[in-house]
Amino acid sequence: MTDVLVLIWRSLRGSLRTPIALIPNIAISVFFLFVFNSGLSSVAQLPGFRGSYLAFIIPVSIVSASVGGAGIAGQALVTDIESGYFTKLLLTPASRLSLVWGPMVAGAVILVGQVVLILALGLGLGLKAAAGPAGLILVLVFAFLWGMAFAGYAVFIALKTKSGAAAQAATFAFFPLIFLSTTFVPKEYIEAGWLKWAATVNPTTYIYDAMRSLLIDGWVLKPLLIGLGVMLGFATLTGLLALRQAARATQLG
Amino acid sequence: MSTSDGDRSIVAEGITRDFADLRAVDDVDLNIRSGQIFGFLGPNGSGKTTTVKMLATILALTAGSARVGGFDVITEPQKVRARIGVALQEVGLDPLMTAREMLVLQSRLFSVDSATARVKADQLLKTVGLDDVDPKKRVGQFSGGMKRRLDLALALVHDPEILFLDEPTTGLDPVSRLGIWEEVRRLNTERGMTIFLTTQYLEEADRLADEVAIINKGRIAAQGAPRALKKEIGSEVVTLSFASSELAERASAVLEAMAPKRRVVERDLLCYFTAAADKLPGLIRVLDEAQIPLQALTMSEPTLDDVFLRATGHRMTDTEEEAS
Repeated sequence: MTDVLVLIWRSLRGSLRTPIALIPNIAISVFFLFVFNSGLSSVAQLPGFRGSYLAFIIPVSIVSASVGGAGIAGQALVTDIESGYFTKLLLTPASRLSLVWGPMVAGAVILVGQVVLILALGLGLGLKAAAGPAGLILVLVFAFLWGMAFAGYAVFIALKTKSGAAAQAATFAFFPLIFLSTTFVPKEYIEAGWLKWAATVNPTTYIYDAMRSLLIDGWVLKPLLIGLGVMLGFATLTGLLALRQAARATQLG
Repeated sequence: MSTSDGDRSIVAEGITRDFADLRAVDDVDLNIRSGQIFGFLGPNGSGKTTTVKMLATILALTAGSARVGGFDVITEPQKVRARIGVALQEVGLDPLMTAREMLVLQSRLFSVDSATARVKADQLLKTVGLDDVDPKKRVGQFSGGMKRRLDLALALVHDPEILFLDEPTTGLDPVSRLGIWEEVRRLNTERGMTIFLTTQYLEEADRLADEVAIINKGRIAAQGAPRALKKEIGSEVVTLSFASSELAERASAVLEAMAPKRRVVERDLLCYFTAAADKLPGLIRVLDEAQIPLQALTMSEPTLDDVFLRATGHRMTDTEEEAS
């Protein structure tokens, strides 16, 4: 367990030592929050729309931030591979799990820090979370889990390609995940059949649902359980892919 | 260490590694006694690093098996890793960390508690002569030599039983090279560490190693104590130099009876004798009679290069030039 903790701490410290790399990502999520909140808030006027548009759009800001957290994790790993430090870690008895969890958890923790900032801005803009402070903390937990899921994918790609450019390009896969969903309007308002279908099969929809239910409706068990299940499933899947690739790194040399 | 290997630290049987259609290491057997300095000598691209990576558990074997520190590198890699220290030719350092942070982290990964890890880090910084470096200086700003020394220190955090050094002196200036040699001897004599050292320098293997294996194109060409290997060739070498390789070949033909152990290398004819001094007048007379003009004659003790030459048919230094 020590190996996991020391490697997470090392990755975190590394990221915090290059704070400039964190800025674009923070800027993007704040951009989402302000632009969509002020530009699309009239959606909330539609009949049947529950809650404020601010509460509706904050999860989009959070999920888009998780792309950045994943990017940090993938990039950190590629840097380690290129510097030869990853090989040095492979030579230690540290578990292969700790090698992938170090950057993944660090990416997800940075994401949580960013989400704290987003929520604080939201509260400043008048957000009233229906589930109260405990609900906001659960939003942070969800952000962490979703951050782990995305970071697992980024780490997997980094280990597989060993290329910074490829790891960067791979985050492109997140965009359909974020936008082919109930990103800007609830599912009832989506008219195009294909988008409705995409939103139904897209796991991100259930993350939005879970976070929105906490911010808009309060404590409703069903969306929370579905969301949690999707997050755990997705995080486990990408985490296992990353772990398998790390074990292979030993074999391929 | 498990008892099955007796006093052997490293036992490899037929280890082989292919990369696509290239066989980098071909059926290598090793049998290395504990407490030895073992020199793994070979030119660039001969398979030294690939062998080290297989023994150090970070590269799968295509065929064969190996036990290091009494444990199988394939089925018990964690146990092997806990017992070995490895400094690869390409250093692996995190440019964002300080030297001390890296040492402490490395110790922690070998399950050393954090208080001990900090003490150990300071000791090792002193050992490798990095204790006077600004403690806030990040590794990214270190010079090449400093990085190499830190990398060596990282391999020592857990007092390994076996230390792998992959070309530790390549690219170093002569003074730094002597420093590394001293350190290697000290680790071996004071701590009884078994040291597996790869090198492309004949002198290094000759001066440091209790036993050497010469590897060429992935295969072991010769193996034994340097002295014994040289003795097999003969106790003295007479090098006759000519103006052309044709002359050297002609000389080789006329000297067949006088010097049964001999070899032409470009414009040189090398003759191996147990007592060369007695033979010199005869050699010169025969060449004179055959009207083959001699340009130079030197007499020396055989070197590992002569061992390499006999085993592979070419000089190691020539292979070096080809490789570069």
